[in-house]
Amino acid sequence: MELGWGPEEEAFRSELVAFLDREAPSEAVGRDFSAATDEEGIPEWARLWQAKLFDNGWLVPGYPAHLGGRNATPAQSLIYAEELASRGLPRSLHFPGYAIVAPSLLEFGNKRQKEMAPAALRGDTIWCVGMSEPDAGSDLASLSTRAERDGDRFVVNGQKVWTSYAMWAEKCFCYVRTNPDAPKHKGISVLIIDMDSNGIEVRPLRHITGKAEFAEVFFTDVEVPAGNLVGDLNDGWRITMGSLAHERGGLWVQSVAGLEHAIESLIAEARDLGISSDTSVRRLLAREYAEVSSLRSLGYKGFSTFARTSASPEHSFLKLASSEMTKHLAEVGMRLEGGLGTTIDTTHLGRPGRWAATLLASFAATIAGGTSEIQRNIIAERILGLPRE
Amino acid sequence: MEFTLSPEQELIRTTARDMCTKECPPSLVRAHMTDHSVASQPWSALKQWVSVADGSMADLCLFLEEAGAVLLPGPFFATTSLFMPLLRSISSSAGGDIAGGGSTSSDGSAQVADLLAEASAGKLTGTVALAGADSRWEVNDGPIKSFVPEAERVDLIALVSGGANSASVTLFRSEDVAIRPVGTIDPSRRLAEVDASGAAPILEPMGIGANIVDDLLARGCTALSAELMGTTRWLLDTTITYASNRRQFGKPIGSFQAIKHKLADVALLHEQAWSSVYYAAMCIDANDPARRRSAHVAKVMASHAAIRCAKEAIQIHGGVGYTWEHDLHLYLRRAFATEDILGTSDWHLDRLADDLM
Ligand SMILES: Cc1cc2nc3c(=O)[nH]c(=O)nc-3n(C[C@H](O)[C@H](O)[C@H](O)COP(=O)(O)OP(=O)(O)OC[C@H]3O[C@@H](n4cnc5c(N)ncnc54)[C@H](O)[C@@H]3O)c2cc1C
Repeated sequence: MELGWGPEEEAFRSELVAFLDREAPSEAVGRDFSAATDEEGIPEWARLWQAKLFDNGWLVPGYPAHLGGRNATPAQSLIYAEELASRGLPRSLHFPGYAIVAPSLLEFGNKRQKEMAPAALRGDTIWCVGMSEPDAGSDLASLSTRAERDGDRFVVNGQKVWTSYAMWAEKCFCYVRTNPDAPKHKGISVLIIDMDSNGIEVRPLRHITGKAEFAEVFFTDVEVPAGNLVGDLNDGWRITMGSLAHERGGLWVQSVAGLEHAIESLIAEARDLGISSDTSVRRLLAREYAEVSSLRSLGYKGFSTFARTSASPEHSFLKLASSEMTKHLAEVGMRLEGGLGTTIDTTHLGRPGRWAATLLASFAATIAGGTSEIQRNIIAERILGLPRE
Repeated sequence: MEFTLSPEQELIRTTARDMCTKECPPSLVRAHMTDHSVASQPWSALKQWVSVADGSMADLCLFLEEAGAVLLPGPFFATTSLFMPLLRSISSSAGGDIAGGGSTSSDGSAQVADLLAEASAGKLTGTVALAGADSRWEVNDGPIKSFVPEAERVDLIALVSGGANSASVTLFRSEDVAIRPVGTIDPSRRLAEVDASGAAPILEPMGIGANIVDDLLARGCTALSAELMGTTRWLLDTTITYASNRRQFGKPIGSFQAIKHKLADVALLHEQAWSSVYYAAMCIDANDPARRRSAHVAKVMASHAAIRCAKEAIQIHGGVGYTWEHDLHLYLRRAFATEDILGTSDWHLDRLADDLM
């Protein structure tokens, strides 16, 4: 046990800070993961920013240079996540490619597929991930989109839903059933599907915020070259577990640092509103600080385990706590704004209520990427060893 | 103590339910987001029911519950639950002894009684302007009032103004004052900022006592809480149905204790809040000394139940709950935004604490 970072980490931090101060576009700064904007699609500034991070070795610092990194140590990667989150800076506005698909291609793909990773990371190729289906959400293993082998290709039929960014994606990292007769976890494979293939129909769906960012995707006799199979046939479940771990791995430090950023905004807002000497407000914010601060410590603890063993049960705790906290803090913010918290125009605060839109967006946190209930089941069953329901 | 509905009340409830579901389908609530004029369709059917506001508070609450269950937009709430009660207390206190030292000429009072009769017949709509820009529903002398429900679409606005000891009510035609909409996350309810400076009132200002404002708020809050109970009930029913039908892992998700317990907790909150609302309504009808206190309780509990229920409803629906296409978010918006109307929960808790300590 030891507090603080060594000189190499601090040098890394200075270089990063200098880069961010110089290069971060104004549109990106202060933009929380859930911040509301009216833009739909992936704005130009965000594409340029992702590419710039990649080109300068700041996209995923732990990767080598050709993958947009600089071979950073795990500790340096943690510092990186904290510095970005404390500025409310996103790396990318389409997470599937860099956060899920690229790591999965690198881990499970063949040589040609691994070569697709740099473009996914740089944002040159926009990806979507097709996991959920109308009848397979939390119970992902029951997915039924069918892929049948026919000579040198697969023929895909079925439907995905809630597929983020499908309407802009060039490729889909798609989970399909290749053996309907095997037990459900043993008949799943992953295919890379070009979104402009014949037989694909994308119907956008809007989030509760009003923005269309996910979609239903229908596959009718879509032909996919057999070479687009990722990993072994019927071994896709392993990749699911892998890519969810990547998702969680990428998010766990980041989300706690994001919450700290939110607490800072809440404190600044209490000052702005002239209520920072109110005892109930002080206790409220101090309590939230204590919660988040303890999560940060838990994050460090998890990080230490992770750095040593590449696995860490703390991830599940952090995913659960930080996503619930994301929702909670938006409500706290609305409460600070008193009766003005639900306003969305500039009439009273000179700006819209700061938290109302964040609140709406925050409902995704405890659903996407595995619901809170599923996280609790995982904690209870895999970590605590309790029997299944 | 009788919480069971009388046969007449059962009839009010079923009539209101049938009429509200028929006149205000979800498609109308959605159309209202961009075209506010569509609210005149349900209003043309519902205006014949404004006279329930002449009866008991409990009857009005039963009606409003059904309005809240369909997120009814339009002037029904403001007219029956703010405007008419204010006019009624002005007209009934005129000439007699008005606590707080207000006064209304008997002439003015006759005119108020006429307006009230028109409103009750569904021929005149109105609202009350009271809160200032800070959204606190406290009598103030600021020239601009805000968070005025439905100001743009009613005929008359009763503007309450004054200081700590004396308040007055001035009636304006809505077309004679400057009105600016205030946007909130809930597009089914319209709020506005009202600036009546320089405008000619239709009647001279009428003095009222502080108790009239307190009673107006007690009524308004109880009525609003009743609306929220309908909103909560819709959320709960919709979610119970979904949890019973949606299957994952080979069974209905409602068979998982994680889901059952959430719904049981929300059902408890709904029961608690519903009982508080009708208790407050009965206190008001009986002019019981506990009426203001119980209205604070009703507003706090109803807001809590509605918000919690909306949040759990979305969570239990999973991905589909996060879509614009599903109606859940309309109810979520209504639940959150209503907490801020007629005093936030924190504001009511402060008043309650003042009363208790
Ligand atoms: C903003 C957003 C973006 C998304 N992006 C993508 C994407 O890009 N690609 C993709 O494939 N998917 C995506 N999803 C889908 C997401 O992964 C699913 O919504 C999620 O896994 C839940 O599945 P479901 O919606 O079918 O809910 P269900 O699984 O039907 O769950 C409904 C409710 O039942 C509960 N429940 C289910 N099983 C159990 C159990 N065993 N015990 C207790 N409770 C249980 C759940 O917790 C939930 O409360 C996205 C979702 C959102 C909201």
